[in-house]
Amino acid sequence: MDTDHYTLVARDISKSFGRNRLLRNINIALSTGESLAVTGPNGSGKSTLLMILAGLLKQGAGSVTHAASGEIHRDDWLAHIGYTGPLINAYDELTAVENIMFARHGAGACARMEALLERFRLAEHRDKKIKHYSSGMKQRLKIILSIINDPPVLILDEPGTNLDAEGKDLVRSYIDSVRSKKIIIIATNDPDEETLCTGGIRLG
Amino acid sequence: MVRDIIRNLRKDFRVEFRSRFALNVSIAFAVITTTALSLAAGGVPFSPRVQSMLLWLIIFFSAMNGLSHIFVREEDQGTSLFLRITASADSIFASKLIYNLAFMAIVLCVVTPLFMFFMQVTVRDAVYFAGSVAGGGLSIAASTTIMAAMVAKAGGKGSLFTIISFPVLLPVLWLSILSTASSIESAGHADYGTLIFLLAFSGFITAISFLLFRYVWQD
Repeated sequence: MDTDHYTLVARDISKSFGRNRLLRNINIALSTGESLAVTGPNGSGKSTLLMILAGLLKQGAGSVTHAASGEIHRDDWLAHIGYTGPLINAYDELTAVENIMFARHGAGACARMEALLERFRLAEHRDKKIKHYSSGMKQRLKIILSIINDPPVLILDEPGTNLDAEGKDLVRSYIDSVRSKKIIIIATNDPDEETLCTGGIRLG
Repeated sequence: MVRDIIRNLRKDFRVEFRSRFALNVSIAFAVITTTALSLAAGGVPFSPRVQSMLLWLIIFFSAMNGLSHIFVREEDQGTSLFLRITASADSIFASKLIYNLAFMAIVLCVVTPLFMFFMQVTVRDAVYFAGSVAGGGLSIAASTTIMAAMVAKAGGKGSLFTIISFPVLLPVLWLSILSTASSIESAGHADYGTLIFLLAFSGFITAISFLLFRYVWQD
């Protein structure tokens, strides 16, 4: 993935589901090297906001723009974003390697896959089908899937879910190592993950 | 895009052949209904029109069990969002269409010889017969791919898929039955216009589906 300077700007984002107005006039402006923690109680709209920023859900009002050297068309956002969240599931019938190879794009991904499997302690389980993984191992794999293409924007919804202390440390150390080179947005209620970010908003 | 399509297809075939759920259900349905029909008929010969109708009924319901599975499975297993962030809508539709065509070809290759053997069907114009079966199968697979995506997104299951597909597939089934019956009963009177219609219908519905799929998949 190229190393352009990226910006992500959300203006006056609102979103309602029926009569329930979940998000109201949210404004966000981030560029490469900046990170944002989105916090709030359950049901406050953290996941909804992250999905809107990733282009996976349409906002009710307002606008979201992703730009590198020029504005990136909405259809191409996902090529620049690494996203993971509770609604993302890898293919149970495939192994970790097969899932990663399915998610990867471009050259150099094989070496990167080996490095990430080692880093997240999944190397010895690489050829097991995902259906035999524990929930914590699945979460580690989901993190790998979101970063395998080294995207310039990382949107992580509750990245520490189901992880043990070692897993949380691994995620935190990864985020810490790349945050100066990426835009990172994390939805979390974990105070340790909040401290990884340069800024934060609280919903609800 | 071609690379994306191949990647999606490889994944779909791997997942299907490791579970073999859809294929097993479809083939089991075909074998059971054909055998039951043969036993019920007790050796009494059916007219070519009735043979053709029974053949297409078995093909239709055998295929319906599996054709929706390609999208419904993604929703049931919660993998559709992963698929969406991994591949473009165009490559997803193209790969799912190719998968359904391959699935339909397998169903036709199993059902047709089995039916001909058990029901003692004698085909007089083999080329026209093969063309009718292949053309009808192509039209069914092409039409049902976009409908499978709609049903999956609507949270529906296989039964809903069969019901909403039926009106769209009615002309295809009608023409397939007529041309198959014609190929069974008389040699040298092949109506290739019917086959051309089936091919044109498949092309038309594929083009429309390709244009609509992005909205079905993303909204």
